[in-house]
Amino acid sequence: MEQFEMLKTWAETNVESVMFYILATISIPLAYGVILDRAIIRSGFILIGVFGSICGLFLLLQAQFLALAQLMIYAVGITLVIVIALMLTNPRMERTQLSTAAPANQLGAFMVAVGLFMTIYLSVRPENWTLSSEPLDSANVEVLGRALTTDYSLPFEFASVLLLAALIGAVMLAKAEKPPKPGEDDYEYSVVDDGPTAGDARPDKEPVASGR
Amino acid sequence: MTSSTAKATQDRTQAVFYAIAYAVATMFVVGAYATGSLDNFVQYAGLAPILESWQLKDYTELLAFILIVLLGSTVALLGGQTSIIMAVGTVGSFFALTFNQHPLIQYLTLAAVLFAIGLYGMVVSRNAVRVLMSIELMLNAVNINLVAFARYVDPVQVKGQLFAIFVITVAAAEAAVGLAIVLSIYRNTSTVDMERFNLLKW
Repeated sequence: MEQFEMLKTWAETNVESVMFYILATISIPLAYGVILDRAIIRSGFILIGVFGSICGLFLLLQAQFLALAQLMIYAVGITLVIVIALMLTNPRMERTQLSTAAPANQLGAFMVAVGLFMTIYLSVRPENWTLSSEPLDSANVEVLGRALTTDYSLPFEFASVLLLAALIGAVMLAKAEKPPKPGEDDYEYSVVDDGPTAGDARPDKEPVASGR
Repeated sequence: MTSSTAKATQDRTQAVFYAIAYAVATMFVVGAYATGSLDNFVQYAGLAPILESWQLKDYTELLAFILIVLLGSTVALLGGQTSIIMAVGTVGSFFALTFNQHPLIQYLTLAAVLFAIGLYGMVVSRNAVRVLMSIELMLNAVNINLVAFARYVDPVQVKGQLFAIFVITVAAAEAAVGLAIVLSIYRNTSTVDMERFNLLKW
């Protein structure tokens, strides 16, 4: 019983630790749900939960700006893009055929993952970190903004150029190609007897470009 | 027909039962470590000199971790449900490994767990979109590392948070381009199976 009392006083003095353990206990099973759930559309939505709990961890670490950015970019933006991509690529197929890899591959992947975790843990565990005991400035957003516009302005500009290029490239890649007109001579049809409906809607009947 | 479905239901019930039993056992191991009973057991059973000879004297939590992993693989071999067993074992060993540590090490261990889960998912899953999700998970684990370092090692200049901002930017670009590539591959081959992406095979 006195151990429970001990635990209670510990919890009362370490609210931050308790919150950390709650968020970790939420995020680890949700991460498993992302990679193991049979219906992949559901794992797309579980991903929002993982990102939300990581947002809570950022708040615990007093990184308010990053917590908000995490919520806006990951939990809304990237998850939305992933769900739309799932809807466009027929997720129903996975339920029957391609749930997971072969058991031997799974075992090997599990061994590799546990080995990687143990390596990281054993290298992180020794207590010779040069820790700083100063509290984090509550106005660290100001520090971040100052650094981004002075010392780190060049990487900042590069990041914006990278985002622009990546988004234009994504639009170019994902844009649906127009069905070619039957008269154009640099296309030949793999399905001969399909007539004028060759170009519409069915991806497996799409014309094959001959020049590639 | 009905007998086979009844047997399948019974198998599933048994698998879930094994998983719950494993959860209880894991709770006992973690509790034994947290209250110090495991340390007493190590002293009593004479394992302390062995640990000392391997320079692992303060690493009793590794014993709890190995115990949890061994229990988990045994239950999985007996026919328990693997996904529940993996989740329970991971949470239990995470508790055992971080219980008495500095907060920085707790955060780093959580990030390592998420990174390993992401790696496992990346190797195991055959859907290309799920592989991209696993990559997002790994990038998030790295972000946790960076923000934890900014909090506990460098709280004045918060360089870790700066790096995390750049990681988020690149992750957004990567997600957009990766999903566009998956879409265009799907349009050409009408599959998202990783093992059938052999377009470049000649």
